[in-house]
Amino acid sequence: MSALFPLQPGGAASELTDGLGPHAALSIRDLTPMPRFGIKGAGSAAWFAGQGVALPPVNRLAQHDDTTFLRLGTNDLVCLADGDNEGLTRLRRSWHDAAAPKGYWSWREESWAWLRLGGAALEGALQRLCAVDLRAQSFRQQDVAQTRFAHVDAVVFRCEAGFDILFDITLTAQVLAAIEVARHAAEQGEAS
Amino acid sequence: MKILRCPMNGPRNIQEFQYLGPVRHAPDPEAASDAEWAAYIFHAENRPGVITEWWRHTASNYVFLAERNIVTNTVVRTFDAWEMEQMR
Repeated sequence: MSALFPLQPGGAASELTDGLGPHAALSIRDLTPMPRFGIKGAGSAAWFAGQGVALPPVNRLAQHDDTTFLRLGTNDLVCLADGDNEGLTRLRRSWHDAAAPKGYWSWREESWAWLRLGGAALEGALQRLCAVDLRAQSFRQQDVAQTRFAHVDAVVFRCEAGFDILFDITLTAQVLAAIEVARHAAEQGEAS
Repeated sequence: MKILRCPMNGPRNIQEFQYLGPVRHAPDPEAASDAEWAAYIFHAENRPGVITEWWRHTASNYVFLAERNIVTNTVVRTFDAWEMEQMR
């Protein structure tokens, strides 16, 4: 599995984010090749709890062993790490070795792109990209939104640099184009 | 923009939802007549007033129920499917 994916070692957007580094007004970092996995279905939450993970409520996230746990449903969980992470690797191995009931593998590492957005122009762009109020007073540090972002279904949550988004990997170019349009509109002060 | 309240995700634009049709109880396959099956498959009741419908929040793939007045197109309430199980 790890030998096959990610299909593009630099990430789904590796050739599309040139010039959008940390110093750009709206920076985009492609985290698609970073480790993650998801488990869903009956028994998945109980399995994670059995591993000592304190699970957050639905549509919230929690940190455990340098791993971020997103709870997208009662029995729909995703683990992410923005670098090599032994805890996540150990959890993945434990799940494969475990006997049912343990939910089923939801292939988040293959089917999702993962982008990290930041920069001074981000707040203005977000208003044009997502109808959910993502301002700090409405969207808390541990909140997770499953919504439309850049015209596609996406999972949105906060990170230190700004916001992380997860979405269908096949829509990467479209999402980047929508972000570019929103960035431009925000900078020009135009109505979206 | 019309807003619908998802029981799991909160108020969202109607564009985030898929309509899955009214709740209908299927006839008993062992006892139903041909006429009852035909009515179930081909005839929509289309009764005015408040009906209960299935909806899906597409971004989270969460399926829930809504009571909607189909004359005024106003949503009375939305709720999780387990509530209907409890009402039976």
